[in-house]
Amino acid sequence: MKTAMEMREALMRGEITSEELVRESLKKIHAEDEKIGAFVEVYDDEALAAAREIDARIARGDEVGRLAGIPVAIKDNMCHKGHKTCAGSKMLIDYVAAYDSTLVHRLKSAGAIIVGRTNMDEFAMGSSTETSYFQKTRNPIDTTKVPGGSSGGAVAAVAAGFVPIAFGSDTGGSIRQPAALCGVVGLKPTYGRVSRFGLIAMASSLDQIGPIATTVADCALALEAIEGRDEQDATSLDVTEKHPAELLSHSVQGIRIGVPKQAFIDGMDEGVKTKVQEAIEALKNAGATIVDLDLPLLEYGLPVYYILQPAEASSNLGRFDGMRYGTRAHVDGIWESYLTARGDGFGREVKRRIMLGSYILSAGYYDAYYKKALAVKTAINESLNDAFLHVDVIVMPTSPMVAWNLGEKFDDPIAMYLADIYTTFANICGLPGISVPCGLSQNLPVGLQFVSPRMEDGKLLDIAAAYEAIRS
Amino acid sequence: MTELDFDVQKVAKLAMLNLSDEEQEALRRDLPSIVAYVSKLHEVDTSAIEAKAYLTDLSNVFRADVRRHSGEDDRLACINAFPKKTGTALEVPGIFE
Repeated sequence: MKTAMEMREALMRGEITSEELVRESLKKIHAEDEKIGAFVEVYDDEALAAAREIDARIARGDEVGRLAGIPVAIKDNMCHKGHKTCAGSKMLIDYVAAYDSTLVHRLKSAGAIIVGRTNMDEFAMGSSTETSYFQKTRNPIDTTKVPGGSSGGAVAAVAAGFVPIAFGSDTGGSIRQPAALCGVVGLKPTYGRVSRFGLIAMASSLDQIGPIATTVADCALALEAIEGRDEQDATSLDVTEKHPAELLSHSVQGIRIGVPKQAFIDGMDEGVKTKVQEAIEALKNAGATIVDLDLPLLEYGLPVYYILQPAEASSNLGRFDGMRYGTRAHVDGIWESYLTARGDGFGREVKRRIMLGSYILSAGYYDAYYKKALAVKTAINESLNDAFLHVDVIVMPTSPMVAWNLGEKFDDPIAMYLADIYTTFANICGLPGISVPCGLSQNLPVGLQFVSPRMEDGKLLDIAAAYEAIRS
Repeated sequence: MTELDFDVQKVAKLAMLNLSDEEQEALRRDLPSIVAYVSKLHEVDTSAIEAKAYLTDLSNVFRADVRRHSGEDDRLACINAFPKKTGTALEVPGIFE
């Protein structure tokens, strides 16, 4: 499949139509998704109708958006008016969104064609997409393996070549980690760079929407279409400097790249370590200055995350009681109705985290866990601010291991949580991070992660694009 | 937290969750080990740190408090999502006995 940038050029030159691109995408999904399970629902007729409309506008010479005519997929937690939006949960199995999320609104304005919604861990809680109520998604590189998670369906849809761009959400690594495991590019923008309005909230201080694609330039193109201030999300940020995909610099000459000592932990896959070290060597040979860093607080990112995230999620998921939408439990008494709707509607991992969050926030434990986590988060942020005085970006693996077998870690929550060891610190500090493929270990993809200071997403994309160019 | 002071039923009540016996048993096993893991945080001295909920330079955002009508179409979409209704009114179980 072509990249989105190539599709865009071909569309603008009149060499291909959006209808042809969408037909090709749908054909591939119907032929191959049965063995992958990336999509929960596909919108054939609607996508084709939207494609024909874009084709007519292009033919008339009308002004069209940056993603005009390009087939894309969205994660099942982004409200899409008139369409089911289930967040991978039984709780929302019949829920039809009453409004468009800002993401969907901006995709439509940019002319993108949404071909379907993709599978995810229930309420985005998981690192393997196995907690979805609907189905398991398989890694397109090796279907005996997990795709990572929680945006496993969106990432698999790109890795399988069904769509050039998909949109996921990243609360602790849910875009970058599956992108690493499936061998594609995944970008978590700066916190607030993309509006969260209409994204089913998991942990509001950490959640961020971002693109997944096969190239860094496609991620840049997608980001242009969705970023920027939105009146509906008070935490959204003004983007004063756009960074057009065509203008990525592709150079690391003079760039200072920090390598934390903590990037290589005991117990990580040796193959991952080797590939990441080779990538760092390649960056050095291309003119980057490699700076060794010691960031001892980095290892506390994951424990901070597993306090803040369940705490916020337990509050956010308080709204699901089956009263105004979702699945009502028809039992006697309103209290029993709440308890039953939630007990039946939520799956095991979601209950585990609601319980953990409720415990952490309960009287007597709030200061010891929640406030402590906020303090450590502040300390980690300060140490990173200091590091960024000396380096432009930090580099490290995205995941300590390659894709594992389906079911392998499913019954061991801590082993599953450790899959996010390199990614959560970017969320807790609001930093942008990107995962780019850096080779294979045991025939499975390895991801290289770059993290930059807040709002330096443009520079991050430049450096990632430069690495991509070195590798190929 | 030790297993002794972890009262699954009490937390389940706070969390408003019905849990089966099997689920309670699994949580009694899993949660203490997760809490033991996150307790690693207590190794960090934060006595000189002021804890912040938000690290980014966010400031309060104000806008005029005016009602915006989202349209009949959206209103009906919300009503259609009601799990139970009488006409266009949301029907809920009684609160008073």
